[in-house]
Amino acid sequence: MTLLRSVWYCLWVAPHILMGVVVFVMVRRRLDRQFPMFFLYAAFEILQFLVLFSVSQALGFVGTYERLYSVGLALSTAIRFGVILELFTHFSRRYPALDGATRFLFRSATIVLLLLAVGLAVSAPGTGTSFLLNATYISDRTVSVLQSGLLISLFLFSRYFSLSWRSHAFGIALGLGIFASVELASSAVRLHLKVFGNTLVNLLTMATYSCCALIWLFYLMADEEQHERPSLGPPTLPPKYNLDIWNQELQRLLQR
Amino acid sequence: MIITTILVLVSLLALSCLLWSAKTHALASNALANPAEHIRAVDIEAFRNLVDPDEEEFLRNHLPPGEFRKIQRERLRAAVDYVSCVAQNAAILVRVADAGRRSPDPATAEAAEKLVENALRLRLYAFHAIVRLYLGMIFPASRISPARIAESYEQMTRLVVMLGCLQYPTRGISAAL
Repeated sequence: MTLLRSVWYCLWVAPHILMGVVVFVMVRRRLDRQFPMFFLYAAFEILQFLVLFSVSQALGFVGTYERLYSVGLALSTAIRFGVILELFTHFSRRYPALDGATRFLFRSATIVLLLLAVGLAVSAPGTGTSFLLNATYISDRTVSVLQSGLLISLFLFSRYFSLSWRSHAFGIALGLGIFASVELASSAVRLHLKVFGNTLVNLLTMATYSCCALIWLFYLMADEEQHERPSLGPPTLPPKYNLDIWNQELQRLLQR
Repeated sequence: MIITTILVLVSLLALSCLLWSAKTHALASNALANPAEHIRAVDIEAFRNLVDPDEEEFLRNHLPPGEFRKIQRERLRAAVDYVSCVAQNAAILVRVADAGRRSPDPATAEAAEKLVENALRLRLYAFHAIVRLYLGMIFPASRISPARIAESYEQMTRLVVMLGCLQYPTRGISAAL
């Protein structure tokens, strides 16, 4: 086995072991109830890996493997959409005043990004020889545009409204966003490659996925309070004179 | 190939945006250390005057059209500055009140909850108002009246005082009222 092959196997196996730990941590901390879609995603990724790994060892990386890979990717992508919706719902529940705005953002961003992604799929169909893989990569690119766009919209939305992310939700969104962004670039590049699984692109995507699994594990294991904004206890208070000036200003304002 | 290059650049941009978000998330607690320093005073009456439809009508009737358009643009530009300032204050108050929502005292938590709602609503209004004010700058002849901003801001400031009273009953806030 060459060094490259060993690295490739390590990067394939390692993130799924980490995902196993993620599932374990989620069950142990009862986070599977808070983020059921993400829990399903993590569990599905492990199952998909086990199936693909077994098939690759028994039958190789062609034929059945390609078909299973495509079906698995489609299912995994659908679940990832569920996770993104779960993150949007997280803000709706936490900030009821923004419920309408959150729904509007999700719908409008989905429509705009879908139109953009479909336009891209039509204008740049790819040059691969295998129809199934070509279709898979085009779908992958379309979905990556949608998912990274939705996650960036969510980050910008929370930034504009100065919303506080719960540490777990932030970690899930961050990992998913990084993965979707790298997937966007790699799916676009893959369409111009003649052979299945260009090694460099595959290694980059797999390394990114490992990093994302680490991010998820880090944030899910972290104590929620450590990453929450501190409550307004005395140490974080604005100094007394500042509060007085502010209150005087407000009082003057209210009396006008 | 051009589309692929654009997509790679977009993904790099998205990645930078996410890493920047991660950095600001990690630093968020430090930024809260002294929120009062970031709050800017807003002259609500001056803002009301700038978006007052009667005032606008008066100027429209007493100035030549060219002069009116020029002055109206200036007025709306000033109004945008006010709204931006109010929106920034609202964002700071969201963060301050958000922390107050976890207070063990139910009255404080409730006041903080109300303040968060009002501040978010104000930020939403501010976003709409800025768009409308810019449209007004492009078409100065049209009538723009984002008066809801001023009302919302007043409502929010009342809640800030209330939250302040609940959190620091002995810290001179009640004396200032």
